Amino acid sequence: MAQTLYPRGTVKKIVKAHSNRALSTNVDILIYLNYALFMQELINEATIKSKQSGERGISAKSIKKISENTLRKYKG
Amino acid sequence: MSESARKKQRFSPERELERTPNTDARILPSTPFRRATSAGPTPGSNRTPVFRTPGTERTPRGGPATRPLPSRRVAPTTPHAIRALRERANAARTPGINRRRSGRVQRETPRDILRDLSKALARNTRPVEPSPQVLPQRTRHSALDLPDIDDGPHLAAPRLSMPLENMYDDDDSFHSAPPRQSLLPDLPDDVDGGTVQSLEFGRRAISEDPRFMFGGRHSERFGDFSELGAVEEEFEIDGTFINRRADRLLDDAIGDALDDDDTTTQMRALTGRRDGRQSDVDLGVFGDGEDDTEDPTFRFLIPERIRAPAREESQEELEKQEEQDEEDPDDEPPILPDDDADLTDDDEQDDDEQDDETAALNRSDLPGANDMLGWESDPPLDDDAELAAYREEASALDRSLQTPLRPASAQQTPIKKAKVFRVSEHGISFPSFPAAPVKKLALGFLKARGGKNARLDKAALEALVNTTNDFFEQISGDLAVYAHHGGRKVIEEKDVIALMKRFVPSHPIPFTIQMCKLTC
Repeated sequence: MAQTLYPRGTVKKIVKAHSNRALSTNVDILIYLNYALFMQELINEATIKSKQSGERGISAKSIKKISENTLRKYKG
Repeated sequence: MSESARKKQRFSPERELERTPNTDARILPSTPFRRATSAGPTPGSNRTPVFRTPGTERTPRGGPATRPLPSRRVAPTTPHAIRALRERANAARTPGINRRRSGRVQRETPRDILRDLSKALARNTRPVEPSPQVLPQRTRHSALDLPDIDDGPHLAAPRLSMPLENMYDDDDSFHSAPPRQSLLPDLPDDVDGGTVQSLEFGRRAISEDPRFMFGGRHSERFGDFSELGAVEEEFEIDGTFINRRADRLLDDAIGDALDDDDTTTQMRALTGRRDGRQSDVDLGVFGDGEDDTEDPTFRFLIPERIRAPAREESQEELEKQEEQDEEDPDDEPPILPDDDADLTDDDEQDDDEQDDETAALNRSDLPGANDMLGWESDPPLDDDAELAAYREEASALDRSLQTPLRPASAQQTPIKKAKVFRVSEHGISFPSFPAAPVKKLALGFLKARGGKNARLDKAALEALVNTTNDFFEQISGDLAVYAHHGGRKVIEEKDVIALMKRFVPSHPIPFTIQMCKLTC
């Protein structure tokens, strides 16, 4: 069996635990796609931030700095 | 040659007319009055006067008396005479030694003609100057004779800007090669790692083992915990050395002692190595059963406390903070049985002895057991109180040898926990999102952005995983609100789509996507 792109069960468990609701069949896939978009945005922002502060590669500090803004963008 | 012949023919009438110019007179053949005999025959006569007797002839033609007057001479008519005359004239003009050699043509070589010509022309000519300018003199040094760099077209001006994406990429630099783990990779159990995992540490010869210096300690470990499965590992680390656990060796040796043979210490060491154990039957099939944890053949097991940090390296950072929260007391390393054994050693000694005897008896039928050789110390002396006290000391010393193992393995064991469960606000536990997909995704985006060898250090990955968990928490709450708003108990796809439509970009969205957003 090929390796899956992401742990499907884990995503379902996490969402279920946080929302206290059941998930329809393929919602987790859409959720994961949204997460991928979020991740892309996060990486982009982190890259820009770390370039601005002259770091090599992206660092944890820059990720922490921009994560709140990016999360806010994805807030429903 | 023909010219000179014509000249010669012309002389004589001129001379006879007494109009001889000076120039011609210079070339005239003049015969000396007294000729040496070696000078050749006299012109005009075929015979030399030497062979004549003066009296027989009227007048000796070549004689000195008849010679003097040039006027008497007639121009030679025969070709021989003409030739001889001319040769003589030439000979008169040749200098030095060559004058006597009459037969030679001295002046008529083409080389002489050319020389005359060159002399005649020498006054008027000048050295030829080439019409284009002569190249400047090269420097003599051959290294400087290289083609001039400046001669070529101008080089392109270097770019002063750098591609922003690749600013930190130094692919060509060999310094940036990622460090390799010197520890072993994590191999699955079914891989035949017979050679891969045989990591060699410095071994200490068993005969030099410092713990063997204490002879009385041998009987202390009669209780064969390893046979009972109570001892956790076969090797222990002493500084940079890995020693096989002494008690196992001793057990083997004591088993030999029951056979009442004599041997030396080295032989004991050999037998300890050679002694087949009970799992020899399934040689080559590793890890078949639950109880088959010990390898049938001798090979170095890498101790857990060395291998574990390499294997759990990625997980370590992730779960560090969860570990701090929930540190379970039952995660203590399983070394305790050994410790207890040390403490209660004296109480159980009789039982241990019996166990050891049975073990030894069991082992005695194994191959090679009979040639194993004896053991000097005898176990039955246990009743001696002094010896018991000494054993107590030795056990203390052994504990001091073992103590560095414990904190290391105590640190290592909580790392082995694969998943750390958190509890949401609804009281439902949930696992953390694993780091591997996060890393894969992030590296994919990083590479798509241009960094060829993008890297994520542990702290950044940890931050990403934390953000991921936050994201899922946030999106789950939003989805729950949307589903509740729709009067549903199940989160459906349209909730997610509604959520995605709420996305507020920081940059202007392209028009097509805007239209899509409006329509769907």
